[in-house]
Amino acid sequence: MPKMTRRGFLVGCSASIAAMAGARINQVVFADPGTAVNSDVLITVFLRGGCDALNLLPPIAGADRGHYVSARPELYVPNSGQGAALALNGQFGLHPSAGGLYDLFQDQKLAIVQAVGLHEDTRSHFDAMTYMELGTPGSKSSTTGWLTRHLQTSSAAGTHPLMPAVAANSLPQQSLVGNSNTTTMTDPDQFNLNVGPYSWREQHKSTLEQLYSANSSDLHEAGQQAIDVINAVDFGDFDNYQPGNGAVYPDNSFGRRLKMIAYLVKLDLGLQVANVDLGGWDTHDNQGDGSSGYFSDQVETLSQGLTAFYADLDGCNGTTHNKKVTVAVMSEFGRRLRENDDGGTDHGHGGMMMVLGQNVNGGLYGNWPGLATAQLYDNADLAVTTDFRRVLSEILVKRLGNNNLDQIFPSYTGYTPMNIVNGSSGVITPPQYGAHNVFLPMVANNSGGC
Amino acid sequence: MNTEKRSSSMSRHQLIHAFLPTIPQLPLTNKLFGGNSVTPPLSMIALNRMAFGPSPEAIDEFNALGANDDARLLAYIEQQLNPFSSVNNSEYSARLAEANFLTINKTRQQLWQQHYRHDGEYSYKTLALREVERLLFIRAVYNKRQLIEVLADFWHNHFNVYAWSMSQIAALFMQYDRDVIRGHMLGNFREMLTAVAQSTEMLYYLDNQTSSAAGPNENWARELFELHTLGAENYLGVMRQNDVPLDNENRPIGYVDDDVYEATRCFTGWTVANKDTGPGGDTGLFLYRADWHDRFQKTILGNFISADQPAMKDGHDVLDFVAYHPGTARHIARKLCRRLVSDYPPQSLVDSTAAVFIAQQNAPDQLKRVVRHILQSNEFKTTWGEKVKRPFEAIVSAMRATNADFTIKYDDSDSNSFMWRYDQMGQAPFAWHAPDGYPDTKEHWQNSSSLVMRWRMVNWLVDKKDEQDQYRLNILGQTPGNLNTATGLVDYWIDRILGYSMSADDRQLIIDFMAQESGPLEALDMSNKKVQDRLRSMVGLILNSPQFQLR
Repeated sequence: MPKMTRRGFLVGCSASIAAMAGARINQVVFADPGTAVNSDVLITVFLRGGCDALNLLPPIAGADRGHYVSARPELYVPNSGQGAALALNGQFGLHPSAGGLYDLFQDQKLAIVQAVGLHEDTRSHFDAMTYMELGTPGSKSSTTGWLTRHLQTSSAAGTHPLMPAVAANSLPQQSLVGNSNTTTMTDPDQFNLNVGPYSWREQHKSTLEQLYSANSSDLHEAGQQAIDVINAVDFGDFDNYQPGNGAVYPDNSFGRRLKMIAYLVKLDLGLQVANVDLGGWDTHDNQGDGSSGYFSDQVETLSQGLTAFYADLDGCNGTTHNKKVTVAVMSEFGRRLRENDDGGTDHGHGGMMMVLGQNVNGGLYGNWPGLATAQLYDNADLAVTTDFRRVLSEILVKRLGNNNLDQIFPSYTGYTPMNIVNGSSGVITPPQYGAHNVFLPMVANNSGGC
Repeated sequence: MNTEKRSSSMSRHQLIHAFLPTIPQLPLTNKLFGGNSVTPPLSMIALNRMAFGPSPEAIDEFNALGANDDARLLAYIEQQLNPFSSVNNSEYSARLAEANFLTINKTRQQLWQQHYRHDGEYSYKTLALREVERLLFIRAVYNKRQLIEVLADFWHNHFNVYAWSMSQIAALFMQYDRDVIRGHMLGNFREMLTAVAQSTEMLYYLDNQTSSAAGPNENWARELFELHTLGAENYLGVMRQNDVPLDNENRPIGYVDDDVYEATRCFTGWTVANKDTGPGGDTGLFLYRADWHDRFQKTILGNFISADQPAMKDGHDVLDFVAYHPGTARHIARKLCRRLVSDYPPQSLVDSTAAVFIAQQNAPDQLKRVVRHILQSNEFKTTWGEKVKRPFEAIVSAMRATNADFTIKYDDSDSNSFMWRYDQMGQAPFAWHAPDGYPDTKEHWQNSSSLVMRWRMVNWLVDKKDEQDQYRLNILGQTPGNLNTATGLVDYWIDRILGYSMSADDRQLIIDFMAQESGPLEALDMSNKKVQDRLRSMVGLILNSPQFQLR
């Protein structure tokens, strides 16, 4: 048996965890179900490359419809007939390939913030992504990302969870830079020791576990954690994971990574934040026509992925994970109003964000600045009327119980909520710690597989 | 200026310390390895920190350099700091020839015109970067001039460029590595700064190529101060230049935002000859555009720059001011000591190293002298295990310890598998996005994902390459034929890989693994394939052990 170390890794109290205890994972402390507090798991979805918000959510009527159609003669989304935009109200509609998102919007689980983004003057992908992910517009110097600072200042800081942060990537996204306890995982089936001379893999792993239990240095402790994560993830048997409610994820890396995150949410290993990227939005050429083609396929992947994720977590043996999960979708900028000569659009300014979850007040948010030339940023792009930090701040305060905005977004002042999500604006009561009475952003109990 | 007003009760020395940010110290919560660890011989210290780990041949060569440890270390330092004459580096040359990199000797202009302007496949456009990523492994594993490889890694991170961020950078990156980094890293720091400031790669990465009087961009100027020279430790934040305290030679003790803005003006017009964005031809070379330059007077770090100086003089003046500021000497000294000695190097070593940096500031081999000072210090010799290997060091040192026969090259399926797996480890070559480079302290690398990924990579390396019983590492062939007990096999490979003893408990665990149901001193059937596989897995355990992760 491994020697006991200074403290166990905190996990939830789901049935699946209980079944693993002792036999599968050794160094854990269980959260007390009675201490579950109002703090969600936050999933951020970053659309890399600059998503064309004007075609994802085009104007369908009024003067702006005229500006939009005349600036995009080849690319505009029709507002009637085959492949028409899905009207959300009299003014805007979603791209026809976003049927799943449309349904979530009708159910009031999806909020869309228009004309949101960075106020910085940059059309560089790299600059804009860095500013957003570090949470420090105008500066690329921070050694920590905004999610890192959230984890460091949240009321769960210090509880030592087994898996607090997941980057569904081979390198953590910049929002998690400086967080030493991020699990980078692109596929649970690759997060194991099923490599090396076949006959000796199990013995190799158990000897490693003992080698890393012989001491309590930080290095040793990381090794014990690694073995526990491997065993917990392996126990869940991701290969045979059946998403809840018959949810069907798109058969691509975005779909597989979202499915993995849903699976990790249910495994209940202390998850607080998870990041997943969907690339391919830098549509300088051959974007397709308004209803079909490359951009349409991208939208379909996004819409199907988010819809499946929501369905997967929505209701399972009488419980709903979505009560404890908030999804935020963002991109570094939107694209130019006017299409270019290559059937695409160039880098722009204002974009859109989406927030999805059971505690979201579905609807359209943000002041629409208009598309007349004088209303555009630099006479060319949708202007930014909402700072992206305003949306994230509301989630931090109301859903994650973290009021330390001055540390998470150091140069951002004057936050006021837009009422995109439910929740109190006050500080969440600090958890009471005891030997086996510890705080965790828990999802509800579930039995594995649903 | 009147600093007395601010705080009349403080001495100048106290005042200076009150203004400057504190230097990062060893975190209180950090637990050192401790326990029953043993200090290895000096050869292992040298080969783990001046090189990417010991190989059997490297140990022999080190030990042949003198009559005692001190003599051997001094001789090794000189051998590594100077061009080779007597060392046989032919295996490295042979592997370079085998890999046959197409872009290895191409100039900046050739790379721009033949690759960046190439109209076809993106992979050909970015071939220089794809090749230099693999060249990096060949060099680190096989080049006997190991210190060069360690220092190239250091300076690439110091002047970090995220090489995949733009195709202009990817197309030229072989040249950044060769001419900008390697061409200067044992030379003069001030000259290196010019090379970096005028490199196409940095001009794109930190946006100076777009910076003009009408539309200035401060990214390059800011990182020049904050990361490349004085460092954040000498940043005084938002304060007027006139309020910055002076040191005993009447120089401002640090920099403020206004210095960054003024420097931005000095570098306006430092751009690239690119036909898409302006005049000057289409060479991809550095170009000075007088029509973009802000011609009026500036003040930087207490120095006045008059209006209408000759072409590029403003920028060169800035580079002079920052290169010769004592804050820069301390910052570079601390980072080099952190790389070569320990995560939180003693202040005394940092100070003495900074003094060499300043005293040799005009020497053509300034940086060589600075490195020599650190390597000859008592702190270098007596420090062990205060650093944890980064993924690159972990894998390269594993390959060196086991005499891997593996030329990582372009367009080769096993090399592709290697790179794909390696990139999962979190330290993909030249892929750190931010300008500060991969972190160099252990808190960033001793985490569960990093360990799982290195365990997987090691286990992949020791395993079969294909169904024809080809292996990437020839473990069996390198095991002496007379060894057949678990104890004998384990002790041989521990000594071979670590070069010093393992803690008794750890050694016993590995012996138990090798023995399985047999006794530790019982003869194993070495012709049995399962036993041979167990031997390979056992070698993997030593490479995966906590002790192997230390430097």
